[in-house]
Amino acid sequence: MQSRILLVALASIAVAEFAYADSPSVTAVLSNSEATVGETVELQIKVTGPGDARPPEEISIDGLEIHSTGTSRQFEIHNFSTNSSVTYNYTILPLRAGRFTIPPQTVQAGGKILRTPELALNVADAPGQQTKTRPGRSTQSQPTSAGDLVFAELVVPKKTAYVGEVVPVQIRMGFDARVHPRLTEPPDITGQGFTSQKLQQSSQNLETINGRPFEVVTFKTAIAAARAGKFEIGPVKAKAQVVVPRRRNAPRSRSPFDLFDLDDPFSDPFFSNPFAQFGERRDIQISSDPVALEVKPLPPNAPPSFSGAIGSFVMATDAKPKSLQVGDPITVTTTISGRGNFDRVNAPLLEDDRGWHKYPPSSKFKQDDEVGISGTKTFEMVISPNENKQNLPVLAFSYFDPAKEQYVTLQSEPMAIAVQGGAVAPVVAAQPPASSPATAARGRPPVPNSAKPQDILYQLTEPSRTVESFEPLYARRGFWAAQSLPLAAVLVFAGWKIRRARLDDREARRISALQHEAAELMHKLRRRDDASPQEYYAEASRVVRLKAALASRDRGVDPNTVDAETAAETFKLDTNSCDRLRRLFEQNDEWQYSGTHNGPERISPENRRDVLELIENLK
Amino acid sequence: MNSFAVIPSAAKRSRGIPSRNPTVFPRDPSTSLGMTGSRMAIVFCLFFGIASGAFAQAQADFAKANQAYAQGHFKEAIAAYETLVSARHWNANLFYDLGNAYFRTRDFGRAILNYERALALDQHHPEATANLQIARDESRALELQPTRLERYLQFASINQYSIAAEVAFWLGIFGIAALMFVRRRSAALVSLSILSLLVCAMAVWAIHTVDNGSKGRALAIVTGNDVQARLATADTANSVLALPAGSEIKILSTRGDWMYAALPNDLRGWIQTKNAKQVRL
Repeated sequence: MQSRILLVALASIAVAEFAYADSPSVTAVLSNSEATVGETVELQIKVTGPGDARPPEEISIDGLEIHSTGTSRQFEIHNFSTNSSVTYNYTILPLRAGRFTIPPQTVQAGGKILRTPELALNVADAPGQQTKTRPGRSTQSQPTSAGDLVFAELVVPKKTAYVGEVVPVQIRMGFDARVHPRLTEPPDITGQGFTSQKLQQSSQNLETINGRPFEVVTFKTAIAAARAGKFEIGPVKAKAQVVVPRRRNAPRSRSPFDLFDLDDPFSDPFFSNPFAQFGERRDIQISSDPVALEVKPLPPNAPPSFSGAIGSFVMATDAKPKSLQVGDPITVTTTISGRGNFDRVNAPLLEDDRGWHKYPPSSKFKQDDEVGISGTKTFEMVISPNENKQNLPVLAFSYFDPAKEQYVTLQSEPMAIAVQGGAVAPVVAAQPPASSPATAARGRPPVPNSAKPQDILYQLTEPSRTVESFEPLYARRGFWAAQSLPLAAVLVFAGWKIRRARLDDREARRISALQHEAAELMHKLRRRDDASPQEYYAEASRVVRLKAALASRDRGVDPNTVDAETAAETFKLDTNSCDRLRRLFEQNDEWQYSGTHNGPERISPENRRDVLELIENLK
Repeated sequence: MNSFAVIPSAAKRSRGIPSRNPTVFPRDPSTSLGMTGSRMAIVFCLFFGIASGAFAQAQADFAKANQAYAQGHFKEAIAAYETLVSARHWNANLFYDLGNAYFRTRDFGRAILNYERALALDQHHPEATANLQIARDESRALELQPTRLERYLQFASINQYSIAAEVAFWLGIFGIAALMFVRRRSAALVSLSILSLLVCAMAVWAIHTVDNGSKGRALAIVTGNDVQARLATADTANSVLALPAGSEIKILSTRGDWMYAALPNDLRGWIQTKNAKQVRL
């Protein structure tokens, strides 16, 4: 069940991908825009996108013989994204010299009618500047040399060019089909005064040259001269490993292919009987002859919108939206396609940008060939009107056409737009265009159209009485100095509380001691019958003093200072009790200070009970 | 302890004879430095007089700058206001007026910078708020978008949070001190202490968030024209974002003449130091 779900999901994704695939597009490219009479040039029409395509049935141009050579299809899947394309190949054989234009061809694809771009082909009378170092009799001075088995040639279609003009270059390297070649160092074009693009391997096919089969590998690149003058392009150098037969002293037999005594190295028995002995792998250096190129400077008086583009281009412009408010952004899309140095193709300029706020454009380039000479560069520029406008500003793009040998300026067609809202303050128009499209999209909203240009509020002439600081409050010294006040308050509060606790503790200990002493004395008074009257009255009066001191604990009374009157007042005794208490203290004094007593030597039980009763009632 | 000043006898000095028995005058014991109360009053008056004189001078300069502005001499007004700023007589009205003067000269970057400074000193300056909006509209300046949390926390200023944290802290400390010494610990006192310390912690967190946020101490304003934030510290480095004058950035670090900054639209890039000014002086 899970596998079914997975299949369904994959199918859905595939269908969705097909559904969301790009709409079909068509490109056409010549393998070379310069040729000589009798030299074939390839034309490729590539249709990309879903659906069936119908190529042009016949391309007929006077002076050119054009034949279809086949169709190739490509189908690619990358991360669930499908891409299919069909390439229709044609060969063009120029029959006479001149400048030929291949008009746009109609191609039906995916239910749409597409048109290829217009292509130009310059055909020269004289043979092109082709330098070939091919194996032949003249190069066979080194018998059985590996150099006989390979050749390299540099094909530069032009003798003259302009500074900065991109010149396509082909490097053809041929290897005898029987040497099992292996390229160890790719070809490199030596020379100074020009820049070359990265080499791209274009094709590999089998050709028969001088009656011998050769594997010919074609590399393509483009060069651009950096300064005027006469240059030598090349030679092209490369290194390869080939298998050649081992040398033998014995005379070898004739190869059946060597009918004309060409000293063919493959007349070696190694090739007739590979198992008889092994060949050896040998490193060889391949080199071509250099090609002369004359580079001319560009003519003066270039138009203002010329940025260095050289070639042949066409321009198309579109803008969205066409109905908007003042200050709203418009995206202007400009497509420049053709053949030339696209790295110097910059965005077209606004011929009159007054009343417009423009942002830096973005660009993307899609090349139609291996080396990026043909292609389409698309620019997106955001502009916004600062006032009422009825047309988009005209866009101008200039380039130098080396075929016409003059500057060409392309201008966009006037495009009508509808801008609503009043004019924005002129100051806005004077602002520098400093924002990118991203800025425009996510920046501040434009001024409302209905609102009049706002003016700032009046000047405040009332001086401030205080000097303010940017320093936050917590970082100022005064703030932390002010914290000393509550800190001091906390410390005073804590100190006061601690001192008070200590005092309370001392008083509690004193009271506890007094209570303890009173309890012990009471215990003695109750239990000891044999105590002398001196001891008994002393202890009894001491208990009274202690109880009086405990009863008036809040005042912190010392028990030694308590007399009969104080005790009576403390306990608020009646007259009888007061008299008894006084008599107790008097008897104690008598026993303490006289040493004798008029009464008996011992205290009677009645007196003891009377004293105890008196003391116990003291509360 | 008595201290004494030794002065040679006037009679012996007149005869040119060196003094052997110098006359000794006791120092006035009323002050430790021998300075009378009247002298102290004079010093105090002098200090107060100098301070009030400087203040009066600043007010006069301010009035002069306002007059230049009223007469349409905006560059003179700017020079006069900038002199006051250099002398650190900072207040919100001064920066507001300076912003207005820059606005009149179409220098929207510096106008916005000074409105921001006025608002940094007085968060609720209505005129600065209104003119800042107009200047931003004119220059199409980009703003840093504060987070939702920052927006909530900006209802109070950092100074207000500081005072709240201070009051709450001491309330909490007094509460804890009281709890340590009272015999009966009431629930109300415990709750008050905990609540106070919580409020203090939240206020400190708010200070940290606001101070380090998009409108915090690292806030700077682009004052140059055609300023490009770049990927690296080179004029040839790829551009990250074009910043119109008056756009806000937050400085993250500096390296030589370049500063690395958080930009509007959640981007980051390098900007030359001369092209932006920090709001807080």
